[in-house]
Amino acid sequence: MSIIIISADDRAAEGQIGGRTAEILGYGRLGPELLQEIAAKYGVEEGKLAEALEREPSLLRGMPPKKWYYYLSCIEAEVLERLAADKMVCWSLAAHLYVLGISHALRVRIISDIEQRAAALAEENGISLQRAQKILAKQQRQRVQWCQTAYGQDETDPALYDLVINLGQIDPDEAAATIAKAVGYRKFEPMTYSRKCLANLLLAAKVKTRLLETMSDIHVQSRDGRVVVTTKALKRDKQKKTLAIKELAGSVEGVDFVEVHINNDIFSEAAQSLR
Amino acid sequence: MAIITISRGSYYMGKAVAEKVAEKLGYPLVSRDVLLEASERFRVPEIKLVRAIHDAPGILDRLSHSKQSYIAYIRAALAERAAAEGKLVYHGLAGHLLLTGLEQVLKVRVTADMQRRVAQEMERSNIGAQKAREILLKDDLQRRRWTKALYGVDPSDSSLYDLVVRIDKITVDQAVDFICEVAGNACFQATEKCRQKARDFALACRVKAALVEEWPNIRVACHYGNVIVYPKEREAKAGKLRKRLDQVCSALEGIHNVEIHRASQPPEDAV
Repeated sequence: MSIIIISADDRAAEGQIGGRTAEILGYGRLGPELLQEIAAKYGVEEGKLAEALEREPSLLRGMPPKKWYYYLSCIEAEVLERLAADKMVCWSLAAHLYVLGISHALRVRIISDIEQRAAALAEENGISLQRAQKILAKQQRQRVQWCQTAYGQDETDPALYDLVINLGQIDPDEAAATIAKAVGYRKFEPMTYSRKCLANLLLAAKVKTRLLETMSDIHVQSRDGRVVVTTKALKRDKQKKTLAIKELAGSVEGVDFVEVHINNDIFSEAAQSLR
Repeated sequence: MAIITISRGSYYMGKAVAEKVAEKLGYPLVSRDVLLEASERFRVPEIKLVRAIHDAPGILDRLSHSKQSYIAYIRAALAERAAAEGKLVYHGLAGHLLLTGLEQVLKVRVTADMQRRVAQEMERSNIGAQKAREILLKDDLQRRRWTKALYGVDPSDSSLYDLVVRIDKITVDQAVDFICEVAGNACFQATEKCRQKARDFALACRVKAALVEEWPNIRVACHYGNVIVYPKEREAKAGKLRKRLDQVCSALEGIHNVEIHRASQPPEDAV
């Protein structure tokens, strides 16, 4: 009765091992297919959600930072909602970067042999091995940058995971069997406290999503229905923004009390005073 | 049947894991004793080998290449144990790098969270948390520098290992179960080809250990008892290499042929 979060440098391996682990344990699957449901629920394009998960914001590509954070927040809230149901294997939805501090979540990193991946890419696209290696290296750099911008984390840091498995010698099926065994350990059983932590994350994500629909620069923390929102505003807009946040956040189910912390937006204020 | 290397830092619980894995699988446990063997065989004080495997090379070491020699001695002793025993658990620094070239090696890294490590160091040395943290960070830095200087890699890079287990939610006993189970996988079972490779690897390491003091950058490969030596261009000019090589190889069993390949690229499995 736990949750498993799988992250990999190779999307195909991620899906294969995630699916196989879910099959062995009889758990639910939470993969990129969820984006379709999220898109329908929030009335956004599925392609935009997928793009937000892969690339950083760019005005040129029609993905401004405000929208980008909103899309990521929608995904986060929906993933957390489903993870709260337990018995789930989740992959390709960046959950390893925001499901933090949940003791019943087994976090696994899968590493693939970069040489094998380059060879496969070269064969698939009819390009040279060197070109394939360059493409993979670029993708890796972009991914590191994406993780840093989106969640301020380095997903290659082994400290983020309970287990790291290298597929260089270990077969994907064996990796799935190992993960399935690990999740049976007592420490990964959900407890009242760990469930509560997950519920707190979920509520914070729901409030953030509601607020990011119309605002930006929003950080939310929650504890037992008590929500703390931190944002930036000009001095003169402080009261107006506080009221708006309280109203919006208060309308989310499960929120009992909203506390708003406004940091002065000194850069905007300085820019306005120079006008 | 597998060779398992367990890499760890100070107070990562790697030693406890290695001991229990060896006990559970009935494998010999190798760690510091490999230094003793190297010390006896190559007549080098053990303390120099301990420093060679722990401290990052200083400027003088880089000039004299002494550290390379000591590492080559340790590697030769470890490779010989691996070839003779066929199965063992090695724990200590850089086992996964010392045995690069062997196929059936399960490379494991054991990590733990900093708080737990600090608590252990505080208890052992009877010091405050701040001091304990400083000691551990310094030790980690030293190990990182050592591995970077000698092998050009960062020991915390997960891609160097087959399995990285974090002792936190996973206990020592559970980590042991894991490692034993993974070691039982087909890919880590020794075949006759693997055994031959282990014997070749041990021979290459022995030849390198015998030559490294005079030719620090020499590379050695061995395939089915045929030894190929790859000296650097300017080193190869010295005619004494051939003479020394003949001496060395005549003293070692299992070598059928010896060749010197000047100015050609050594293969990946050359030591």
